[in-house]
Amino acid sequence: MKNFSLAIQTPISSMEPANLNDGQAAYVWSAIYDTLLFVDHNGEVQPNGAKKWEYDPDKTRLTLVIRDDMKFSDGQPVTVADVVATLERSRTAKGLQAPALSAVASVTATDDKTVVLQLSRPDPVLLIALSQGAGAIAPAKALDNKDIVANPIGSGPYVLDKATVPGSSYVLTRRDDYWNLGAFPFPKLTFRVIADPTAQFNALQAGELTAGQLQPQQVAPMEAKGLKVTRLAGQAHLTMLLLDKKGELVPALADERVRKAINMAFDREGIVKAILQGAGKPTVQIFNPDSKEYNEKLEGYYKYDVQGAKNLLAEAGYKDGFSVTMPSTPYSTTFEPTVTQALGDIGIKVSWEPVPPQNTGAAIAGKKFPMVLYIDALPAAQKMIGTYYGPNAYTNPFRYTDPELEKLVAATATADEAERVELSKKIAAFATEHALNAPIAYMGGTIATDPGVEFVDPKSAMGSNVRQYEQAK
Amino acid sequence: MIGYVARRLGAGLVLAVLMTFITYWLLSLSFRDIVTTNLSSAATNESVDRRLAELGWDLPLPVQYFKWLFGAINGDFGRSLITSEPVMSAVLTRLTVTLSVVLVALLFTVTISVVLGVWAAARGGFADRLSQGLSLIGHLVPGLLLAIGLVYLFAVQMKLLPAGGYTPFAEDPVRWLRSITIPVIVLVIGGAANITAQVRGSMVDELSRDYVRTLRTRGIPVQSVVLKHALRNASGPALTVLSLEFIQMLGGALIIENVFALPGYGSFTFIASLQGDVPVILGVAFFGVLMVIAINLVVDLINGWLNPKARIY
Repeated sequence: MKNFSLAIQTPISSMEPANLNDGQAAYVWSAIYDTLLFVDHNGEVQPNGAKKWEYDPDKTRLTLVIRDDMKFSDGQPVTVADVVATLERSRTAKGLQAPALSAVASVTATDDKTVVLQLSRPDPVLLIALSQGAGAIAPAKALDNKDIVANPIGSGPYVLDKATVPGSSYVLTRRDDYWNLGAFPFPKLTFRVIADPTAQFNALQAGELTAGQLQPQQVAPMEAKGLKVTRLAGQAHLTMLLLDKKGELVPALADERVRKAINMAFDREGIVKAILQGAGKPTVQIFNPDSKEYNEKLEGYYKYDVQGAKNLLAEAGYKDGFSVTMPSTPYSTTFEPTVTQALGDIGIKVSWEPVPPQNTGAAIAGKKFPMVLYIDALPAAQKMIGTYYGPNAYTNPFRYTDPELEKLVAATATADEAERVELSKKIAAFATEHALNAPIAYMGGTIATDPGVEFVDPKSAMGSNVRQYEQAK
Repeated sequence: MIGYVARRLGAGLVLAVLMTFITYWLLSLSFRDIVTTNLSSAATNESVDRRLAELGWDLPLPVQYFKWLFGAINGDFGRSLITSEPVMSAVLTRLTVTLSVVLVALLFTVTISVVLGVWAAARGGFADRLSQGLSLIGHLVPGLLLAIGLVYLFAVQMKLLPAGGYTPFAEDPVRWLRSITIPVIVLVIGGAANITAQVRGSMVDELSRDYVRTLRTRGIPVQSVVLKHALRNASGPALTVLSLEFIQMLGGALIIENVFALPGYGSFTFIASLQGDVPVILGVAFFGVLMVIAINLVVDLINGWLNPKARIY
């Protein structure tokens, strides 16, 4: 029986349910907390802490039936009151998880096993959210205890071991009395904080980690060492966010022709080949290429065409181009010279304003910049629609709206599965045709694992979860 | 002497307060952005305002700073915004890691430098050329490259030493030693190259002085002249360079700690500044200033003890 160890890049922030971070931190907290639901490696929602769930016909009332064999690590059984209290707290505490539960108007227990979420509007992302941080369950009595931030009490398969050094390594040991032990094959988990990719690579080579992400140039030596290498098609997308679609900072961006011209300025194949070293693929849309919502009809919608782009700009009245300032962030540094040149070729003069890493989010949400080069993960399409196309979306600080788009987005909330997939494809088509942003490429990833460990989430559908890994058969 | 130490420490505290105030003021310019980023998609004007108020960052700047200072004087440096651990204990934990590497490296650096430097100055000829050659090579090898090379050789290929990470001494002394071996080697090569040249230089100066000739003519053995009299007088400048080396090692620890994934002071500072973890950055700045001041003070005291002429108190 192998133990499992993985490197994460940054320390875990709070482990209080209302403030859980759904990024890499989820590796650690999802092993400590049970979430109500669970997303499997096909992206399908599965029962977890809730053994059944059901929507009413107009999708404004979600009923969940809680398992009766869950126990917190302090030995207390998980009651419906704990579920209600945690959801209420996460919903109202204005922490990181509040937006995920923003459609929930009330949480009530109807009997000792049933929780009802009354919604103010249908929310297509809610089930996904309940499989992530918003669905984590903690004991009601621990919610007010400051200590929960660093010493969480959960009902999940693992507990934090005293060997944990916050900010440097998180050690977790498996509980014998967990209800779903079969899904967690590793007796011990270690998550080490290693910020530097080279240091992570060395630790992996030396056998100190059982799994890790590789940079493109590290793949060959790893394979030579006998580690198993799994290539993932799409783990993230690289997109030029055209935030200022109302033209408040740069009037030109309000003109669709200008945004189309920007889409035509990029040699996407060249960027994938030269900068991503082939680990990725060109794209004009952002939904996960492995998902049902991916719209293959759109591929190649924007050809690399400098002259065509210039003509469009001239048509829009910007024959001599214009200037924009973009934030220089950890996402953009590698791509800056290429972007400067590509946009410069069609007459758009880019200047980069350095933004400290801790202000990256503010650079997007703070209405300071008309355009931002961004790299983001590829979660479920319903979640991405919320982040990119909703009127109050995080990447829509200027609150651009379009009646047709709004209709499509609103319809996804009540649609059944097949309809929702169709609507998502339409949304992708709308976003591409109207050049709401300029997606450039999917960035692939490579996972190396020790021969004793297997990676079982080739579509990266689970998010950061230790269930992406199993003991090798 | 007591008065002198107290004066120096007092000046150090004033400097630390000034430094942290400037740091606080510079950080305060981006408090709003830091909060916005940390709340990421949960950031609305309302939630940002609320969080600012929770942190007390909506008060006038001097009030905020004095609140922080008052807490600091009482040993409460607040909690990390990111991991929620108390800053004081977090800083001390990380400092232990860095100091255990740096102090061991310093010990070896001093030993090697004194032996090589004195030997070169006293013997001259081949010994001198050899020691100067070694020193030059030490200068020429880039520490980062050496670190990567050693990790590749000892950890990846031979699997003799860990590729990174840190085991506390209390947990397992042998594993502790193995976890700091490569970082120490890297620091010692750079440090010894500097200090050897310094020791050799001051020893050559010292050995050409009149009193050395006088001592020799009295029939005092060479060893005693070199080690007891000349070395004592030559140690002043070398010590000063050594203290600078120590401070440089503390700063340079950042690169070393990143390569070896050591949870030390440098990488802690680096990550905290990337994440805008204000309480940690302030704590780190405060302790950093105190440390530099303490090192300088200790060096002056040792100098005075070795060489009464150099006493400034």
